Amino acid sequence: MSFSDRIAQGLESGWKVIDGATLTENHTAEADVVIVGTGAGGGTTAEILAKSGFSVILVEEGRLYYQKDFKMDELTSYANLYQEGMSRTTKDGAIAILQGRCVGGSTTVNWTSSFRTPDETLNYWGKRFGLDALSPAAMAPWFDGRETRHSMSPWNMDPNLNNDVLRQGCEKLGFSWQIIPRNVKGCWNLGYCGVGCPTNAKQGALMTTIPGALDNNASMYHGLRAERLVMNQDRIESLEATAMASDGITPTRVTVTLKARHFVVAASAIGSPGLLLRSKLPDPYERVGKRSFIHPVNASVAQMPKLVDPFYGAPQSIYSDEFNFRNGVDGEAGYKLEVPPLHPAMSAGVVPGHGDEQAKNLAGLPWMQSVIALVRDGFHEDSPGGTVSLRDDGSPMLDYPVSDYLWKGLRSAFYTMAEIQFAAGADKVRLMHLDSDWYSNWADAKAAIDRFSMEPHRVRLFTAHQMGGCAMGSNPEESVVNGFGEHHHVSNLSVHDASIFPTSIGANPQLSVYALAARNSARLAQRLKA
Amino acid sequence: MTDPLTPPEGLDALSLDRRSFLRTGLGGALFLGTVSVTAGLSGCATAPAGRLGAVATRMDARYQFQFLSADDIELLEALLPAILGSALPEQANNRRIAIAGTVERIDMGIHKFGPANQKELRQLFDLLNFGLTRVTIARVWPAWRDATTEQADAFLQRWRSSSIGLFNNGYMALTKISNVAFYGYQENWQLSGYPGPPDWAVKALPQFRKA
Repeated sequence: MSFSDRIAQGLESGWKVIDGATLTENHTAEADVVIVGTGAGGGTTAEILAKSGFSVILVEEGRLYYQKDFKMDELTSYANLYQEGMSRTTKDGAIAILQGRCVGGSTTVNWTSSFRTPDETLNYWGKRFGLDALSPAAMAPWFDGRETRHSMSPWNMDPNLNNDVLRQGCEKLGFSWQIIPRNVKGCWNLGYCGVGCPTNAKQGALMTTIPGALDNNASMYHGLRAERLVMNQDRIESLEATAMASDGITPTRVTVTLKARHFVVAASAIGSPGLLLRSKLPDPYERVGKRSFIHPVNASVAQMPKLVDPFYGAPQSIYSDEFNFRNGVDGEAGYKLEVPPLHPAMSAGVVPGHGDEQAKNLAGLPWMQSVIALVRDGFHEDSPGGTVSLRDDGSPMLDYPVSDYLWKGLRSAFYTMAEIQFAAGADKVRLMHLDSDWYSNWADAKAAIDRFSMEPHRVRLFTAHQMGGCAMGSNPEESVVNGFGEHHHVSNLSVHDASIFPTSIGANPQLSVYALAARNSARLAQRLKA
Repeated sequence: MTDPLTPPEGLDALSLDRRSFLRTGLGGALFLGTVSVTAGLSGCATAPAGRLGAVATRMDARYQFQFLSADDIELLEALLPAILGSALPEQANNRRIAIAGTVERIDMGIHKFGPANQKELRQLFDLLNFGLTRVTIARVWPAWRDATTEQADAFLQRWRSSSIGLFNNGYMALTKISNVAFYGYQENWQLSGYPGPPDWAVKALPQFRKA
């Protein structure tokens, strides 16, 4: 079968794409700019710089997967497209980390929700971190530009029932709700965004900026792990990288040395601090890896009287911000309410249990509905975030202690989610907590939540949004980069990904990453031309 | 069978200061590391099982195990009937095939977990396989190959309801890798009422067409 998709055509036309697994000898290459990471930040940077006439090399640890590989199968996708084969967790194992590891990064597997950075968040950054240049008015044109580039607009089909239950519950209770903007073009409304879009409708980095960069002469290595940036006096001279075998996880002995005038790190909020730490770059105030945020997520599932088929249809189309900024930007923990898609493996991993009880839980999947709460972390002194550090083997890991402040927000979210599901007509509701039963009315659920012990492991926690760890700020004593993503201490290094956020976003972060990366890349292009 | 309410023998000796214990997680738990070393010295089979002669009747002989050892496979064969319950077929041969296939897919999944999480799972499996810790910490008296489904279930319940986070974490790790490998597999989709990707889309998409 021949493919006519954007990637297959590009490869056919002679794009400079090198699979690390095919390399047999060490080699060195050189460009104006080397970019580590091909996700929201790296892709945007590569396209803008390549179109400005700079030679660009992209480096991706994961592999290149595209339409021919996207067969709507959970097990192969989780194994190949996600960090650590979907087994990544925080250090203590208490929080599951969903994060992409492939060309396009998390934008290849996200659920397409496309929100601007909330005004409250940008204003807080201005006030608290000296980032006044990122005011909502100043950022608006960058959001506009990226919304166009990635075909983002509010979902114009009917929400699936999974999402509509959130809408109905909010309506009944008088909570606000809105339609989610999605980055799709000609979407088939199938529901498989999380396992690699099978129709190329999703306008993530894979379908937009990566092809845009490669069309403009950029080259891309995939299956190549960035090991360390090597300094020579006060500048970075090269990136040392290791090729990975075709399984994507076994390093070969082949090393690649990449030289450049400028280096851009966009390897994610876990990968970027990891690379900076491995490289032992100047960090006089020990800020690298600190203040890592994750939008801790807890969840509730309901059994509805009608068939929900939560595996079909656009995975996220309705949200509620009723509780997101209700207590002010820096008051008690706020949370955004959304809905996750439920396929069999995802459900089997999220709903805790075993034996006949679990068999029964999963037999009810077609009637299952779920709400998730994304807690806005990093806006309060009792929410200082986690820390990225290195394991003995040099790989990065995130330690994220959940503070009492966050537990309070998570308990509050349990109440809200159960109340919404019952208001929308749920027969039964179960909170994702090891001590939760199925409850058949709101009063019983409420009484049970009152008694939940809010502890790691007992509360099932997730994160799909990793942010911070190379925070931007005007004060080098409390940040890693300035408001343009430029490293405070190394002149030819920038960071262009979610790691530069000084707090969490309070919304799914992809558009925040695209917009900041676009702004900072335009600035970088000017600088490099000068 | 042991009373699940009695503190396990030997656990006091580990001086489980709860907060510091919780903080170590599966990764940092020193005593788990010690178990791995001890298990290695005492000749526990921690090497990947490779091609399994002995279980070839149950296992697809073509499958090359990359992570699970012969001991791990025995452990999973004992746990899977308790983890999967009535979702497993009753007919003996179908049941063996379902369990063997799930064990293989667990192995494939773990291979993709990468070195760091493999190390943690190695520690967990060694703790459960090594006789002394199996008895004192998991509180399962017989070797796994001789354990009944009731004993396996009681073990899972103890770790699930334990007030020690590390055991909750072990419970989640074991049930999650098993449930995902089982329910995520195409032949088991019907057990969760999932019809699979819509037919019309499969027919229309080039990646499903034969070359």
